[in-house]
Amino acid sequence: MKLGKTAWNLAWWAVAIALAVAGYTIFFVAPRELTMGSIQRIFYFHASTGISAYLCFFLSFLASIGYLASRQPRWDWMAVSTAEVGLAFDTVVLITGPIWAKPVWGTWWVWDARLTLAFIVELLYIAYLLLRRLSTEIDRRALISAVFGIFAFLDVPLAYFSVRWWRTEHPGPVIAGGPNNGLDPRMWHVFAFTWLALLALMILMIRDRYRLEAMRQKVNDWKAEEELGLDVAEGKEVTQ
Amino acid sequence: MSLVRSAATVLAKELRVELRTHDLTNTVFFFVLMIAGLFSFAFSPTASESRRILPGLIWMAFFFAGTLMLQLCFVREQTNDTLAALRLAPIDPFAILLGKILANFAFLAATEIVFVPIFSVFYNVSVGDVIGQLLLVLFLGTFGLAVVGTVFSAMSAQARMRELLLPLLLLPVLAPVLIAGVEATSELLAAGHSVGRVWLSMLAGFDLIFTTATWLLSGYLVEE
Amino acid sequence: MRNFWSILGAYLAAWAIFFVYSATVGRRLTRLEEEFRRLKDRAGRQG
Repeated sequence: MKLGKTAWNLAWWAVAIALAVAGYTIFFVAPRELTMGSIQRIFYFHASTGISAYLCFFLSFLASIGYLASRQPRWDWMAVSTAEVGLAFDTVVLITGPIWAKPVWGTWWVWDARLTLAFIVELLYIAYLLLRRLSTEIDRRALISAVFGIFAFLDVPLAYFSVRWWRTEHPGPVIAGGPNNGLDPRMWHVFAFTWLALLALMILMIRDRYRLEAMRQKVNDWKAEEELGLDVAEGKEVTQ
Repeated sequence: MSLVRSAATVLAKELRVELRTHDLTNTVFFFVLMIAGLFSFAFSPTASESRRILPGLIWMAFFFAGTLMLQLCFVREQTNDTLAALRLAPIDPFAILLGKILANFAFLAATEIVFVPIFSVFYNVSVGDVIGQLLLVLFLGTFGLAVVGTVFSAMSAQARMRELLLPLLLLPVLAPVLIAGVEATSELLAAGHSVGRVWLSMLAGFDLIFTTATWLLSGYLVEE
Repeated sequence: MRNFWSILGAYLAAWAIFFVYSATVGRRLTRLEEEFRRLKDRAGRQG
């Protein structure tokens, strides 16, 4: 990971260009979907953002286990970085979902299985960040947020099945089909390209967030050291 | 000492403390009674409406009562400075948690046994035929609530604004229990009186997964 | 293209969120780096 600063800046620009290209292909290259019409074009970034969000939460789960196993602060930094980036991606899912739903279902919000799941997951990880914010002691915070991170991720499959069974009588989610559902190859290519670009964005965002957390730790360490130094100095003055 | 025996000791201690003070049971009983009344004022439901809303109402009332109660579970140890003693005891950390989980479950189950008939009278929905199954569904859900709630109570005991934090942590995680519990209760109160196996297995699965996770992570939870 | 504005709106909303989030992280990082430099300078002068 010892790439220079310029290399990372280049990476950001490359991702920005890739995302612009993805946008172009979504609007002009992908064919029009037959039943839903153009609105289906939201699918390309809605679904790929969703997959990336769950991937982030999975990484956060692994990092939480890593922290409990090793007690290395960097696992804790990784856990919070992936959780926060995942939350940003999930927010995009929750906003693009209703924009898609409005023309197709006629209402902004439907308690459809997948939308409901995205909502529950959003709540879970907001709770995770709140827990971190409200725990004061750093080691203790890392420990309990790792435990909560594990509990939250274990809850995701349970929530998935409960919302699926809950909404069985309702029509299935209007996703234009997975990769094996006879999707037009052009659609599949646009989707894969968009997803890869978003994945690269996700990695860059996680890296930045991780650096932030590492820097915070560094500043805290220096502050603690300084305070200690000042205390010693004051102590001397008093004894003199 | 075996796990079961040490857990039983912790459970007995919790029950003894509660029987001496009645803090938890008094507060929770009053809280549920109040909710039962207030919901009726807010919605003044007709007979068919109340059949529809009662399952959700029962579960929400017990969930909020649970979060209210679980708050005290570790805070009480802290104010009395007894947590250190518990930690020092030569027993499996899971035994401490299990004892507390069972105690919380017992308090909530007692509340449910008392209040299901009261809800039934207030909302004019007869539950006589299905009372056994209804309590089974409620107990399965309540056990999940007790497990996750006890763990989170241990986690949030040292945080700032812990009174606010616990419900915020607990309620999102309990979403599957709420969905499964309300659906199962609705099925029981509907004409068929039969509860779908999916919901029962969802509730049991939740209990199983989180009890196992608690067992695996208990060492981290009880340590200083 | 029917629903063009919906799609464009969704597309822009997505990028806006990513951009705002990344900008916030960047800003927080810059601020911390400044603080770090300040701490280091002060420590350097003392020691």
